[in-house]
Amino acid sequence: MDITIKGLEHSYGKGTPFERKALSNINLSISSGTFQTIIGHTGSGKSTLIQHLNGLLKPTQGSIQIGDFKIQAGVKEKRLKALRKHVGIVFQYPEHQLFEETIEKDILFGPLNFGVSEDEAKRRAAKLIQQVGLDESYLSRSPFDLSGGQMRRVAIAGVLAMKPSILILDEPTAGLDPRGRREIMDLFYRLHEEEGLTTILVTHSMEDAARFSDDILIMEKGGVVLQGNPETIFSNPEALKNLSLDVPETVQFIHRLEERFNKDLPHSVFTLKAAVDAALSVLQKGDDS
Amino acid sequence: MQNIIIGQYVPGQSFIHKLDPRAKLLTAFLFVIIVFLANNWITYVLLGAFTLLAIFVSKLPLRYIYNGLKPILLVIILTFLLHVFLTKEGPLLLDLGFLEVYEGGVEQGIFISLRLLFLILITSLLTLTTTPIDITVGIETLLGPMKKIGLPVHEFALMMSIALRFIPTLLEETEKIMKAQSARGAQFSSGPIKERLKSIVPLLVPLFVSAFKRAEDLAMAMEARGYRGGEGRTSIRLLKWSGKDTTLFIILLLLCVSLLLLRS
Ligand SMILES: Nc1ncnc2c1ncn2[C@@H]1O[C@H](COP(=O)(O)OP(=O)(O)OP(=O)(O)O)[C@@H](O)[C@H]1O
Ligand SMILES: [Mg+2]
Repeated sequence: MDITIKGLEHSYGKGTPFERKALSNINLSISSGTFQTIIGHTGSGKSTLIQHLNGLLKPTQGSIQIGDFKIQAGVKEKRLKALRKHVGIVFQYPEHQLFEETIEKDILFGPLNFGVSEDEAKRRAAKLIQQVGLDESYLSRSPFDLSGGQMRRVAIAGVLAMKPSILILDEPTAGLDPRGRREIMDLFYRLHEEEGLTTILVTHSMEDAARFSDDILIMEKGGVVLQGNPETIFSNPEALKNLSLDVPETVQFIHRLEERFNKDLPHSVFTLKAAVDAALSVLQKGDDS
Repeated sequence: MQNIIIGQYVPGQSFIHKLDPRAKLLTAFLFVIIVFLANNWITYVLLGAFTLLAIFVSKLPLRYIYNGLKPILLVIILTFLLHVFLTKEGPLLLDLGFLEVYEGGVEQGIFISLRLLFLILITSLLTLTTTPIDITVGIETLLGPMKKIGLPVHEFALMMSIALRFIPTLLEETEKIMKAQSARGAQFSSGPIKERLKSIVPLLVPLFVSAFKRAEDLAMAMEARGYRGGEGRTSIRLLKWSGKDTTLFIILLLLCVSLLLLRS
């Protein structure tokens, strides 16, 4: 499902003394199957933007088209539940949404709400609990006895069990240990590739943004300030610095290499392996001369 | 969610914002009593004038207050209707066969609804224009003398302020959890009643879990910072009674005397 956002504006607390504009004039289109990343400082409106994509927030102005669903300022969309079946959101700190007696029941909550049969939902739960890095014995345990990181994994499984075709991830790895982060991000990316999901990732990690994205959107003060593929975005460290953002460590490394050896190198180096290769190539050439 | 004004503080610089919290607390308390003095049109008009004046002077946006009242309006309307239908006094106004409406009933209905409305407005005004901390300090000083007879005044004031402080936080939390569960297909504000009722558990359980967790964290943080109850504790905020506060009491006194003179 393609997503088209036109002239989107959102104010919190409309008509109260606390009214505050969180988004202004956002125009954006995300075609089906894209890995879209959203970067921006805290308070720049990322969470506000993504909550519009399944009708949790209503635009104060403008419209959002998702497949054949349309959400418009001032118009009541009646098929929100149908829309939400297609758009899954993993919220910032999703562990707060756990409520059932057992982990299995909690994972089933979403699918059963959307009319999936119990057998099918249970099959999904059994598969997902392993995919998020826990084993099947956890299914019968209480979600409240888990560590923070394990709760996060269960909550993520609960969203994935809905099999959404658009998956929205709001800083899904914040607060996890480095290995947990890598595992979870790899899982999301694998699902993105295998199931052809449209993935929208909100993150503060430039490394994740660089590695996975087809397109990166940079937000500041409720608006879009930069947009492009990772190569273009990270080839201009100055522009990012002006927004007080960094380039990924691998790209920083390449820039240092360039300075040190006075050579031009390709800038689209986003994995550790690629960085090592680039360094090797420089060093080997250095030997030759 | 965003319209709820209970426990909300709106920063400002108005006459009412600058009053001593003790003056405001006492006024609210006395107002609750003198509301019951009113028993005819002229006295209700006086009370109404006082309430409107207070709202006007506080410079709070009228639309905000109106939106905040909406949920309570239902209760007021219900009270009104009950009185209209159940009080059988004075001349008959309307006879629908199964239902008779008397003039006394309509009058009673209007009076009681107004009374409720005034009470709610004045007490909301108190929290809207006073920070929770000021309210606590105010209560604690006002009840100070009670310490002598062994009442846990400090603890009571602390409890009040924590409760006030956490109302907006809990509302925020409620909204967050509602969003997360809605995204998983729960229905809170649309759909059949049965569906909506079923959504209460997925909302309340996480809400309680996080409220208990917050309480625990707060207790821990207070202990870590050396909190050990009210004994020997002084307040960083010094309350100062000023001319403004005396003015307020003169107005209140005038109101009270007029009510006594004009009531029938
Ligand atoms: N429920 C709310 N009520 C009122 N204002 C809000 C609410 N949620 C967010 N805001 C305000 O809207 C602005 C954008 O917030 P948002 O949560 O979208 O930022 P964000 O980019 O997701 O930040 P972070 O990286 O910290 O998650 C902020 O100024 C915030 O104060
Ligand atoms: Mg956010």
